[in-house]
Formats: sequence, C-alpha cells, structure tokens
Amino acid sequence: MTTIKNEVLIRVYVVTLLLVLAALAVFSRAFVISISEGKKWRDLGDQQFVKLMPIEPLRGNIFASDGSILATSLPFYEIRFDPLTSNITESLFAQKVDSLSMCLASISDKFDAKGWKDYLWKARKEPIRGVLIMEKATQEQYERMKMFPLFRLGKYKGGFIASQKSFRSHPFGTLALRTLGYVNPEDSKYVGLEGYYNNYVGGEQGEEMMHKVGRDLWLPMNDLKQVDPRNGDDLLTTLDVNIQDITQEALLKSIDYHNADGGCAIVMEVKTGAIKAISNFRRIGKDTLGEIYNDAINKRTEPGSTLKLASIMAMLEDDYVNLEDTVDVNYGKTRFFDRILEDAEKHGMKLTTVRHAFEMSSNVGISRLVQRFYGENKKAEKFIAHLRDFNLDKKTGIDLEGESDPEIKEAYNAKKEWSGITLPWMSIGYEMTLTPLQVLTFYNAVANDGMMMKPYLLSEVQRLGEPIKTFKPVVIKRRIASKKTITMAKSLLEGVVLNGTAKDLRTSKFSFAGKTGTAQVNYGKLGPDDKKEYQASFAGYFPAENPVYSCIVVVYNPKQYGFYGAICAGPVFREIADKAFTLKTELHDCINKREKMPMKGPMLPSGDAGMAYDIDFLLDKLNFRYYKQAKKEFAALKVSGDSLKLTDRNIDVNAVPNVVGMRLKDALHLLENRGLKVGVNGYGVVRRQSIPAGARVAAGAYIAIALE
Amino acid sequence: MSAVNRILANLKGDKSIWMIVIVFGLFSLWSVYSSSPLIAAKELEGNTTLFLLKQLAIVLSGWFLTFLAYYTNYKRFSQIAPAFLVVSVVLLILTLIFGYGVHDAKRWLRIPIIGLRFQTSDLAKLALVIYTARAVSSKQEIIKSFKEAMIPILAPVLLVCGLILPHDLSTALILFAVCFAMMFVGRLEIKYLIALLVLGVALLALVIFLGNIIPQLGVRVETWISRISQFFDTSVEDYQAVRAKIAMARGEYFGRGPGNSIMRTMLPSSFADYIFATILEEYGLFGGFFVIGLYLFLLFRTVALVTKTTKTFGAMLAIGSCLLIVIQALANMAIAVNLVPVGGITLPFLSSGGTSYWFMSIALGIILSVSKQHEKDQQEIVSETNTESA
Repeated sequence: MTTIKNEVLIRVYVVTLLLVLAALAVFSRAFVISISEGKKWRDLGDQQFVKLMPIEPLRGNIFASDGSILATSLPFYEIRFDPLTSNITESLFAQKVDSLSMCLASISDKFDAKGWKDYLWKARKEPIRGVLIMEKATQEQYERMKMFPLFRLGKYKGGFIASQKSFRSHPFGTLALRTLGYVNPEDSKYVGLEGYYNNYVGGEQGEEMMHKVGRDLWLPMNDLKQVDPRNGDDLLTTLDVNIQDITQEALLKSIDYHNADGGCAIVMEVKTGAIKAISNFRRIGKDTLGEIYNDAINKRTEPGSTLKLASIMAMLEDDYVNLEDTVDVNYGKTRFFDRILEDAEKHGMKLTTVRHAFEMSSNVGISRLVQRFYGENKKAEKFIAHLRDFNLDKKTGIDLEGESDPEIKEAYNAKKEWSGITLPWMSIGYEMTLTPLQVLTFYNAVANDGMMMKPYLLSEVQRLGEPIKTFKPVVIKRRIASKKTITMAKSLLEGVVLNGTAKDLRTSKFSFAGKTGTAQVNYGKLGPDDKKEYQASFAGYFPAENPVYSCIVVVYNPKQYGFYGAICAGPVFREIADKAFTLKTELHDCINKREKMPMKGPMLPSGDAGMAYDIDFLLDKLNFRYYKQAKKEFAALKVSGDSLKLTDRNIDVNAVPNVVGMRLKDALHLLENRGLKVGVNGYGVVRRQSIPAGARVAAGAYIAIALE
Repeated sequence: MSAVNRILANLKGDKSIWMIVIVFGLFSLWSVYSSSPLIAAKELEGNTTLFLLKQLAIVLSGWFLTFLAYYTNYKRFSQIAPAFLVVSVVLLILTLIFGYGVHDAKRWLRIPIIGLRFQTSDLAKLALVIYTARAVSSKQEIIKSFKEAMIPILAPVLLVCGLILPHDLSTALILFAVCFAMMFVGRLEIKYLIALLVLGVALLALVIFLGNIIPQLGVRVETWISRISQFFDTSVEDYQAVRAKIAMARGEYFGRGPGNSIMRTMLPSSFADYIFATILEEYGLFGGFFVIGLYLFLLFRTVALVTKTTKTFGAMLAIGSCLLIVIQALANMAIAVNLVPVGGITLPFLSSGGTSYWFMSIALGIILSVSKQHEKDQQEIVSETNTESA
C-alpha cells in the first residue's frame, strides 16, 4: 500500500516540478520582454499607439466699438459615413438605405432621395469608408442626423463619423471683412486684424498625449503631461459698424457709377486717431467688386493735389508767403525746362491770390511758388525737410500687417532720380508715393490742431468680458507745424469747400473742410493711343470748426461721368459725412436748447389728438408754450390765434369714438376696445373715419380709418 | 457581516483554496471595473454598468457553483461520471454539426429556449477529467495491464479530444495533456504512455493530412499551419504578439496602474486570450508574478492534499481538476509571452467570459469537496482513535 502511495506521490511531484519549470519559463520570458527588451517594445508602442496631439484653442471674438460682433467662431461638424462597419451587413444596409436616403434628402439639397440612395450604394460597393455626407453641418443638423437610420447606431456600429470643427463667422457679412482679415497657418497667411493680433485672438495651442483605441479613435491618456490650451481673447476694435456700413456703401456706389478700377476710404477719429472705418474695393470681374487687398494701407500711389496742403504749409512755416499775396497762374499753363505743366481745370486768370490758387487747386500757382522759394541754391532740401516734419516720409504704424513705406526722394540724390522738374512736380503731389492712410494721418493732424495721432484699430483686449489690456491713443508728433500755419491751413481747407473746387459739395446742415485731388497716374509714359488714367481723391474732416472725424476717399481710374476728385471722391466723402454727422447726435444742437420761439398760428400743431399725458410730455420737451385745460385721459390740441390749447377729447364708452387727429396706436386702441374691426389705410395721423363719432353700432362692425 | 463570518467559520476544506477562490473573483471584478472608461469609449452605445453587472453576475454564480460542488460529496461525481461523459460526447457531436463561432471555428452551442451560448468543450473537459479519475482509481489493481487498464482508460480520452480537435486544437491539446498527466500520476505503465505520445503525434498528423485533402471536413488545418509557421518565422513578427509584447513592456516592474492599459484596446481579445499581457501592462512584472503565484499556490495546496489523502479517487479527482486549471493557465500565459504559438484559450477565472468561468469554478469546488471530505475522514480517524484509546 505504501509503495503504491509512494509511486503516485513521486509521479505527482514530477508533474508538479514540470509545471513549476513551465511557470518559471513564462515568468522569465515576461521578464525578458518587459525589462531586457523593454525599451525596444515601449518605443515601438509609443510610435504606433501614442501620440502628442494639439488641442485647438477657441478663437476670440472681434467686436466693433459698440460691442457688435464682427467675427466669431461657430462650431460645425463634418459628417462622414462608413457603410462598411462590421455591424452593417449587406441585408441591413439594403433594408435601411431607403429611409436613410429620404432622411438625408430632407436635410441636404445635395441629392434627392434617389440620388442619395445611389450615392450610398456606390460608397458601399466601391468601397469608400468614410464617404462625405455633409461638409459643414450646423449643431442642429448634426443633432438631427444623429437620429437617422443606421447613423443612430453610432460611430462603430452605425459608421456615423462626425468631427467637430469651427469656422469664422462674420455676422455683418462683408462689413470690414478685409480689415478683420483671416489666418491660415497652413499657408502662413496672417491677414488683417486677425493676423496682426493673432497672439491675442488666436490663443495658444495646448497639447495632450493621446493613445489609439480604434481605427480613427484616439483617447486622452489623462497624464500629467497635458497642457491646456489658452483660449483666444476678444478684441474690441475702434471700428464703428454704422460708419463702416455707410463708407462701404457710398464708396461702392461711386466706383460703380464711374466705372472705376477700385477705390478705398478711411474714416478716422480726429482726437484719437481711432479708425472708424476702412473700406477697399477692386474690380475683380467686369461687374464684380471685391475687397481683396487693403489698398488703404498698402497701395502706394502719387497722391496728387491733396499734397498741395503740405507744400503751402511748408512755405507758411518758412514765412515765404502770405495767403493774400499775388501769384501768377499764367492762364493755367507754365513750363519747367522741357515740360509743360497745366492746371486740371481751365480758367482765364493771369494773377490771383495764393489762397485762391490753392482753393482752385492750381498746379501752376503752387509749383511756381515752390520752385521760386526752394528751386535754387540747393534749397530743395529744406522743402523736403518740411515733408519729413509732417511725417510724410514714415509709416503711420497702424496695427495691421502690410503697411507700405512712403517714398519721398532725397534732394539732389545721386541715383539720377532728381531732375530740374522734380521739385515743382513734388510740390503738387507727384514724384513721390504715399498710401491713402499716410495722407489721411497728415490731414488728421491738421484737423487736430497740429497734433499727429497714430492711427489704430484695437482699443482693448478682453478676456471673459473684462479688459486685460487697453490701448490708449498714441501721439506720433505733438506739433507738426506752428499754430499760425495750422490755423491758416484749416482756413484754406474750409475755403476749398466754400469757394474752391469742392464748393458744389457744400451743405447748410454742417460744415466741413478738405482738399480735392485729381492725379494723372500715367503722365509722361503715355503712348499716342493710351487714355489718360486718373486717381480721384478727397481728404478732409468735419465739422470744420470742431473736427470730429477725418476722412479720405480715393477712387482709382474712374472711366465715366468725370474723373475729378470733386466729382468722383468728394460726393463719397459728403455722403459719409452726412450720415456720420446724423448718427453722431451729440454734434447736433438740442431742439429745446434753442430759444423759445413765439409760435405763429399756422406753424402750431392744430388738431392733433391722443393720450393727454403723451402730448403733455412732448410739448414740454419741445419747449412749446401752451395752455393746459385737459383733465381726462385723451386730449386734443386747438389753436386760437397764436396760442395753443390742450383740451379734453371726450370718449363715449358706448359709441364710436372720435379718433381724428390721433396716431394709429391710440386710434386702434380705442376702436378695437369698442369691439370694432378696423381697416387701416395710409400712415401718419388719422384724418377720416368711415363711421362718424357718436354712432352706435354693434360689436364686430367694420370701420375704416384713413391716415395721412 | 456576521452571516458571512458564520459561513466562513462553517466552511470546511482548505482555507487557502477558499482564499484563492475569493481573490480570483475580486480580481476579475476589479479589472472590469477599472477598464470601464475604455469600454465606454470603444462601445459608445454599450452600457458600462451593464458590463460590470454582467461580470458581477458571473463571479457570484461562479462562487455559488464552487460552493455547490464543494457541498457535494465527491463520490457522487464518480457515480454520475459515465452519464456525464455520454452527454458531453453527444453535445460535442452536436457542436460539430450545428455549432458556430468566429473564424469558422465551431466551438459554441446555443442552448435552445434560453438562448445562452456555451463552449461545449468546457463541459466535456470537466466530464472527461472526472471520468478519467474514476477509471484510473477503479483500476489500480490491474493498472499496469495494457488491455484491461490502458485501453479502457485511454479510449474516452481519445474520443473526446478527437471530437474537440477539429475546431479547437489548443483546447484538445491541453485536455490531452491534463489526462496524460492524470494517467501518469495514476501509475499507468510508462512505456505505454510513451507509446501513447507517439500515437498522439501520429493521430495529429493524420487529422492534418485528412483535413488537407478533404477540406469539406472543415478542419482548421490552415489556421494551425499558418500560426505555427508564423511562430517559427522570426522575420515576420505576428502583430498580435508584437502588441502583447508592447503591452508587457509598458508595464515594466510595477505597471501603469489599474485601468491605464492603453494596449488592451489594440490587442485582440484583450479581456480573454491576452488578459495576461494586459495584467502585466497595468500591474507590471510583480502583478504577473502574483498571478502565476496564485496558480502555483493552488497547485501546491492540491499536491499537499493529495499527499495526505488516502483515497485514490479523491486524489485523482483533485489533481485532475487542479491540472485542468493550472495547465490551461500556464498555456494561456505562455501564449501571451510568445513562448508557444497563438491559440485561443482563456486564463481561468481572470478572462471574462461566462461558461469557462463556471466550469472552472466547479473544478475548484471539486478540489474543495475532496479537501472537505479528507478533513472529515481525519476527524473520524481521530475520534476513532480517541474511542479506541478511551
């Protein structure tokens, strides 16, 4: 018995020993893999199944100065479909494809139900795993699609692949689109405000370790290496939605009307240099205009007559001229060496004053004066030094990418750029190139009593509605010319509008000052068959006596209905000024600040009726003198002689009320409360009613009222 | 708590083995719980709570089955063994005809009406081990005889393994190894056993040969050949093996922590066949050492029981049940560490999956039942000697 037991036990121990050896083999093998060869396998794993993925930050908003959203990021989904998940068998697909197609047709115009069905079948047959369903689905569309047949089974079973992205939305459409700009890191394009302030508005990418859990599915590893993204901050710009809108509209209208190649306009706040609007258009097709380049800050051209202001101011600074001095304009024609210079507009004058030569924009007058004072003894240096004083040789430093450097020649330079005619031509805005913004900054300084402000677009960086960085207006130069010069320059610009080239643009509503410019772009290089090309411009500010806004308008190559600055650009300026002035209510005189006028009989609002309280309130605010006799809810105004009386309008609760003289609000209220059906015709004040007051009618009867 | 304490106090059998039962159950629950975020991500529509509840149900029912088996007098297993074996064989044949499974492997049978599917080989394994234990123990007097012992003992083994083999080579091989070890322990003539090994290899060769010339038999010869050739072809690393190695390497000594396995989503059947790689990734080499240690501990406790017991059937039954668990565990781990070619077998108690857990629970219960009976016998002997001496 014991021998049997022993034999069994020995054999049991043998088996046990073998198994222990096997276990040791397993363990040592595990040791080799995870420790000895460990690094090799871990590296391979990191390479295949782990990766550092960027976490995209949310881009900030861009606001107009009133807080309106100009640019914001909205989420959208790219929807794809994998018709070949292991769960979607041929029969299941065939069974569901009809209803799925119908659902898709109901949400997308890409195909009809039949078209969708063919499209999906094709994807399954080809096969295309991840066929595009919708490129930009809104949140709402995404929520709906999630419930579609097959899709509702989800990503793995139903093949419904939705990837969230975001796009930049501009609630005001094309408004200041170019100034707002865009960023496209893939092509390293950083344009406009979005580009310039990308550091703020773009936020900072975060990163996290992700590991692969499925074909296209990566999950965060939630380790300590994760870096959270910093979401973009909001930009509060100086742009004014209303002025921008006016500017765009007015500019577009003129470019279109004059069949020009393009144009640009800028509106700036005089005291601060804050840009209120920038608009640029270029013809991109025969009938299409597009805002593709920010010409206002980067297109450099010869400014033409708008520069004459600088020439005159130079001479005034040097005390060479008085505005009332006589100048020989020689019937609008003169010669410098071999070149003839003519005034743009014909006139029959031989002699006139300096003031008038400027106001009528005489090329001959200004160039002869400049040539006389600076043309000899190497004094051109001195003229150019003045242009430098006016900062015309430097960038403005606006906070946008791509501002061009102005080009002002060195006097008598060795590069053969300087000839005998350079100076006279410079004096009238040729032989140099500037951007519209640079010209405007100069004009703005004149309007601002000589203080030159740096143009800027960003006033505040906000995070969660709280300002984190505020940008104050920056002074480029405290004084660009003497007080006397500035005063005279302003009077000259006002004179242009009162008596000069812009006198047709005058208005009695408000005053403005400015200078027209009509530059021939292709002078000197004109072939016999070439048409002359012009650049029409207008630079100025308003109101003249206490400037609030300055503005420049440039129209490139107008081809019909005139080419003068006063005709192509001036009206745009006027339109912008008109509306901007209207919007800026603080510039208007308050009606009740005026002296109380003794009203004469015919001017008084006789016969008006309505709620006594309302009439009372209005007359009070408008500073009318009247006698109040009314005590009831409704009242009417009566005039006897030159005095105004507010008397009761009796309303009979059981009869048709008298609503003549009332506004629609009161009339409807009264009539409908009597149970009448009201037909309304016209607008204004009720003049007639179809059922006379006092009549007794059944409820539901029809009454027509005529308003005028 | 007191109820639990009372049950524990009244539990007979090897307390260490009871502890193993509990540790296995808790570990399998914990691994499902800690990986629930991953399951949620992968099965977006799947309910993770349901997943956990399902595992809880499996563990609880497993414990119940262990208890049931423990509660049963193990001699009853001897009585039902022939019937049990017949039922298993019938089910295996049914599986060959009606069964289904992934990749053409017919391994599962769906129980009509309740719709539960189970792997018939799991049932057959247990039945065969019990039957072999009975056969070996009942023929101890004539055990060295070829005709009277070797043949009757071997015949059912060959039949069952042969029925499993066409669709599940790994399970058939493991089951054969378990029975072979039982026959060895049961004192069968060594020269016959060596001859049997030769015969086994020959039989395998025959099946492969037949499967190759008659594809209609549906034998998965191609899979076997490709797996085996892949294993020996070092130029091309099998992607499953590579991912398993990455998982283990990521764990290093102490692992990445519970639920932090990232490779489990990339590993085929990371909760079943490759669970050992996942365990190493999350708990490191020390975790792996602990798991191997648990199975070896079970083996040592059973050997200790066998050493003490005087009952041949009990000893054979306990050692057979234990080997069924331990050999399968070692085979699974050997596959995970790429010691042997890939094969679809689970790690007892730690792989998720219902029926395997249940039959393994019964096997554990049987060991406990033998242990309990042994303790009872010891007490009787003690009381007898006490009365004798009294």
